[in-house]
Amino acid sequence: MKTIMAYSVNVSVEAPIENQIQEITYDGQEIYQAPLTLSENLAKIAQKIDFSKTNGEDIKKESESGEKGEEDAKDSASFQSSLWPWDSVRNKLRNALTEVCVLADVLAIAKEKHYMVLDPVPQEPAEVKPMIQVYARKKALAGAASVIMMGADRLKNCQNELARNRSTPDFHIELLRLRQNWRLKKVSNSIIGDLSYRTAGSKFPQTGMFEVTKAEEEEKSSTSPPASPSAGNNVSGQTHPPNSKASALRVTIPSELQGVAYIEVLCQKDQEDLCSANISLLNNSAHSSNADMHWQQKLEAAQNVLFCKELFSQLAREAVHLRAPIPHMVVGNQIMATVLPGIQLIIGLCHSTGNDKKPAAPPPHKSDHDHVLEHSLHQLLREVHHKNTHHPFPHPSSGPLGPSKRRCLAGPTAADRYELLEMTKSQTLLEQIIQQAQHYFMRLRTEYVLDTIAKEVKDPLIVSHWNALNSPTQSCVKINILTHGYDTVCRTSLVVHIGEKSLKCVCRDGRVMHMSYEPQELRDLIFCQIYQHQITAVQALAKCMGWQFLANSSHLGLGAVEPLGNASSCILASPIGDRMIAVRCEPQTGVQVAIAHSPRKDFFPGQLVRERKWENLGGSFKEVRWDKMEGKNFLNKMELLMASLTSS
Amino acid sequence: MAAQRALPQSKEALLKSYTTRLKEDVKSMLENFEEIIKLAKGENDSQLSRMTQCEQDTYEMHVRAANIVRAGESLMKLVSDIKQYLILNDFPSVNEAIAQNSKLFRTKQAECDQKLASLRDDMAADLYDLEEEYYTSIYK
Repeated sequence: MKTIMAYSVNVSVEAPIENQIQEITYDGQEIYQAPLTLSENLAKIAQKIDFSKTNGEDIKKESESGEKGEEDAKDSASFQSSLWPWDSVRNKLRNALTEVCVLADVLAIAKEKHYMVLDPVPQEPAEVKPMIQVYARKKALAGAASVIMMGADRLKNCQNELARNRSTPDFHIELLRLRQNWRLKKVSNSIIGDLSYRTAGSKFPQTGMFEVTKAEEEEKSSTSPPASPSAGNNVSGQTHPPNSKASALRVTIPSELQGVAYIEVLCQKDQEDLCSANISLLNNSAHSSNADMHWQQKLEAAQNVLFCKELFSQLAREAVHLRAPIPHMVVGNQIMATVLPGIQLIIGLCHSTGNDKKPAAPPPHKSDHDHVLEHSLHQLLREVHHKNTHHPFPHPSSGPLGPSKRRCLAGPTAADRYELLEMTKSQTLLEQIIQQAQHYFMRLRTEYVLDTIAKEVKDPLIVSHWNALNSPTQSCVKINILTHGYDTVCRTSLVVHIGEKSLKCVCRDGRVMHMSYEPQELRDLIFCQIYQHQITAVQALAKCMGWQFLANSSHLGLGAVEPLGNASSCILASPIGDRMIAVRCEPQTGVQVAIAHSPRKDFFPGQLVRERKWENLGGSFKEVRWDKMEGKNFLNKMELLMASLTSS
Repeated sequence: MAAQRALPQSKEALLKSYTTRLKEDVKSMLENFEEIIKLAKGENDSQLSRMTQCEQDTYEMHVRAANIVRAGESLMKLVSDIKQYLILNDFPSVNEAIAQNSKLFRTKQAECDQKLASLRDDMAADLYDLEEEYYTSIYK
């Protein structure tokens, strides 16, 4: 082909005509390798040139580019002066420069791709033993297998883990339970729940969203550094105990619904402390302490918080809008309303979000907290919710929802304007709770009055029976006045209806009295009734004893003026008619009894009355010293008196 | 997958996406396995040197094995997703649960009411007697 190097003699070497034998088949046929193409051959040969050895020689490189000619010319020009000592160094540097320049040029040309293309060179196949390849493949397969096995193991472990600790239920089972009790929906990748009372008729704007997530495994949190367990809930301390009954489900509640809330209802007499400081347990920095609480309790607590907030906001709104003679006050999370003069109803919202509430703060008020009224408040709001969703049937398909049943009937029954106006009036929650509180106080006062009278007055017994059937704003007490031992002879009974701000008393004779909230009025009434009872009882007793009943006045105009009521009196005559008893009862001074003998047994004729017959006209009354009389009580004394007068 | 799941507005599309996920995952498992087997045969010649080729094959096999594992886990995730979907959207069973709960609570309520009423009656009767006794006694 071509000579490669030329020292002195040019030896031309030709490639063999025959191609290389690649393979000899069993039948002796030889398979030749395809001959190299010209360019391949050139490249192959060119590759064998050891360019480093051509140093210093003035040899033209047989390359494709023509540009090298200039370089060579320069090279040969510099060759002549090799006289001074640094010449070899200079030459070396120059050669290096040349080579770098050439390389740069070659690269530049190769990049252009117009004149030169760099091609891979077929080399002699590296000697790789087939066994090595097999081993390599085996190793690769083993690696792949191990990857798959690891994955499979992980899945298997997961399943086993679940099967082993059946005590902690599966996430999906928990989710199913949650779904059965709470409203859930899927929003993109997370499960969102709603704990508000919207579906139950609430119109409170605050949302009660919570998020359901899968709790991370316990093992993970125990093996990882202590920072990670708090990553899920960054609130609980690093030392939350690994509770055995861990749930596979975690519920995240918005911070404003965390903690415990309740409505505090206080009834205060006088104005001892208008701005009490019992709200201090609000919003203490800490978050929920109950990270390990079961989700059901957690959600219920949050729902309660939401409910209390709704209730309070409703009450506060009403308190602001309501016109009362003494305006209601809304300060912070406290509403103050005047129930009766001198008595305030204080409704407060207590929301504690942490476990670090001061134990010292609540106690002074705890005793006053009225659980019944708190319960009534809850009940009232629930009623409102219920009304919001339960509209009376039938609904008109085109009409508005919500008119009451009475209003639906207003058309057919031809209600007039007044009735329609009456229908539009509705009571707010605050009004209703104030009424209940008023009634509560009225009841207390009535009880107190009756008990103190029963204690003060021993003679006629005053027995009061409270009715078991009552409503939050109405109750009823029956009062029996009777004398011990004579309860079949006479018994005065009256009924007192206790309303919100007034009392209604139905007396024995059918009279109806209306009284205000002042307890003194009831007290006066009862005292009047007691003395009337005494007179009627004496009359009834007289009938039994055969005495005659001459005169009776329940409102006597004689004597000193009574501060309350009138004195009542009666006059009785013995069966023969020779003795008379006069009884006068008055609330203030008590009972006075006087007797008179009509014909006196001993008659001494005097100047004025000369004959005995005049004695029949009736004589002067002499007062009996009643406290010296024998007998257990008034009627007993009367009985004894009558008996002694009859017999003697 | 996540983007695919975020998209569907209707349930229909979501269910379809579950089917496609299932098919894709199974197909991916099968394909990767086939590829591994093909690599194990090792008949493909290329310009690379044998050692490089071996190295590449090893790497490819690892990746494909990991793909199979991924597909498996994706299937597990699919199962869990379908479970979740069923739980969250199975309204008949939810209604049943609600009906059952409300029935339970109603009976409980009736029970409580009855107990309270009987308690009230007893207490009222006793209270009457006690009041009678108290007010007629001399100790007040």
